[in-house]
Amino acid sequence: MKYSYLILITLITLFAGCNQSTNNEKSKANKIIIGVSMLSMQNEFIVNISDEMQKKAEELGAELIIVDAERSPLKQIEQIESFIAQKVDVIILNPSEYEACSPAVNKALAANIPIVNVNSATKIAPTAFVGSNDLESGRIAMKFIADQLGGKGNVVMIQGLNGQAAQIQREQGAKEILKEYPGLKLIAQQTAEWDRSKSMDLMQNWIQSYGTKINAVFAHNDEMGLGAVKALQDAGMKDKVVVVSIDAIADALQAVKKGDLDATVFQDAKKQGAGAIETAVKIAQGQKVEKELMIPFQLVTKATITEYLK
Amino acid sequence: MQYINNIRQYGLLIVFGIICLLISLITPQFLTVSNLTIIVTQVSINALLAFGVTFVIITGGIDLSLGSIVAVTGVTSAMLAHPDSNPVLIPIVMGLLAGLLMGVFNGFIITKSKIAPFIVTLGTMTIGRGLALILSDGRPVSNLSDSFNYLGSGTIFGIPILILIFILVFALCSIILSKTILGRYIYAIGGNEQAARASGINIDRVKLSVYSISGLLAGLAGILLASRITTGQPNAGAGFELDAIAAVVIGGTSTAGGRGTMSGTLIGVLLIGVINNGLDLLNVTSYYQQVVMGIIIIGAVIIDSLNQKSNS
Repeated sequence: MKYSYLILITLITLFAGCNQSTNNEKSKANKIIIGVSMLSMQNEFIVNISDEMQKKAEELGAELIIVDAERSPLKQIEQIESFIAQKVDVIILNPSEYEACSPAVNKALAANIPIVNVNSATKIAPTAFVGSNDLESGRIAMKFIADQLGGKGNVVMIQGLNGQAAQIQREQGAKEILKEYPGLKLIAQQTAEWDRSKSMDLMQNWIQSYGTKINAVFAHNDEMGLGAVKALQDAGMKDKVVVVSIDAIADALQAVKKGDLDATVFQDAKKQGAGAIETAVKIAQGQKVEKELMIPFQLVTKATITEYLK
Repeated sequence: MQYINNIRQYGLLIVFGIICLLISLITPQFLTVSNLTIIVTQVSINALLAFGVTFVIITGGIDLSLGSIVAVTGVTSAMLAHPDSNPVLIPIVMGLLAGLLMGVFNGFIITKSKIAPFIVTLGTMTIGRGLALILSDGRPVSNLSDSFNYLGSGTIFGIPILILIFILVFALCSIILSKTILGRYIYAIGGNEQAARASGINIDRVKLSVYSISGLLAGLAGILLASRITTGQPNAGAGFELDAIAAVVIGGTSTAGGRGTMSGTLIGVLLIGVINNGLDLLNVTSYYQQVVMGIIIIGAVIIDSLNQKSNS
């Protein structure tokens, strides 16, 4: 019993000491502290954004606290709550869900802490948004297919995890273009959950049921695009089918260079990451910022590949 | 004992036959050599996991770390399989070794600490996922040698290597379970651990063996998956353990232990593959696929418990 009191007292003094020292440091350096909650650090694209954020923060002298939400909106809300409790200067949110993450944005705004969304949107508007319009990426990809097929042919679409903003908007953008080309027919669409091996299985099954009827494949991300390419290659059909996907990850760029993947759509992780930090720092310094900073997508084909391979 | 298993298996076989017949009536593409080959190739990775975990489940245990072992071994082998780096045997051996080590770790902790296998393997599941991310730095490991990639997409005498491995592993596991002393001990422990201990069986050694086999086969699955998709993905295999356990349960192995067969698991694996393939051919959305799969899992267990009652 005695000992436990002793331990308790020691702990309390230790904690009190810690608190003071951090407070002192903060006031001394007067650094801007930014809390960052990222969708998933298991996703290469998201990791790229976060790497760029760290670089930019170092350059601008801001301190980052980066946490991984592991794709869970609930976890993300809890992380924002703890940022609010820590009294960070600005929060950057890379939302895992359109609707479910909105309470997080609301909480930050209610606590008077500015919040910047990066890469994906939430239903509730944050202080500022930095990212790209996914409708545009779907349009670019389907437009490429339309051009390659001369506006006529059968297309299959491999979708991301149903219900996510990126999946919904990429599908919607692609369908807008399909409407403009009555000769293009969407003969099948199905989710492969952003996963390469699931996409490969799905493509194999489609090759069984549609065979040479398939003229083009649009996959919502590169992982799935590469899975489809592998299935088509195994079936000896790649030469006759156009495959396009989105993100321009390193693997996909190599595949475009080799001619395996016909095109990918480049989403600029660097500009998104750097843009988010710049916006956050400006807000913390009381400067005016644009409510929406849109980073454009770019089509990457064999003709333009050298610009992206660095 | 054998008799009960036989009845159940015929029942399962009949269900399997009816489902195949139904699908082939609706889509003519189903019953073609190329489609059947694709189904068997697609289920082969789940099959390896299911065969391994069948041993574990018959002892009354569970292994939730399978999917993470797949990720660790896939990443490990991929990192060693870049072109002109190592002979293809090195990534294969190291991948298998990584899987075996994780299995031994599971078995060691379970036997020494007496903590429930559910908890221990839940822990290794998380540890494994973390290790795969650390090893790969959170990025897919790509640019693998052609000889490594050949494993997952090549053929020998026109038969995909994946299918050959699938058949070989099935044969080996069946023999271990039904023809060896280890197999008999596995059933004995699952049936009644106290009685097995009293009769002088070294329980710890048997348990260590089953988790090691399970880890080793998950390692093989990880290597083959990496080869098939030509990358080692740190987030590969998430949820694979549940697919494998589903196949084992559909195949009539009791999760309480003591009862089950490899051939039951084989049919369970094929049934899942046939249904997924059939629903894809029919362009049914994945939402319905999940519902159908859940109904089949519960249905299989209900039939199992009815059978049990009528026999006791």
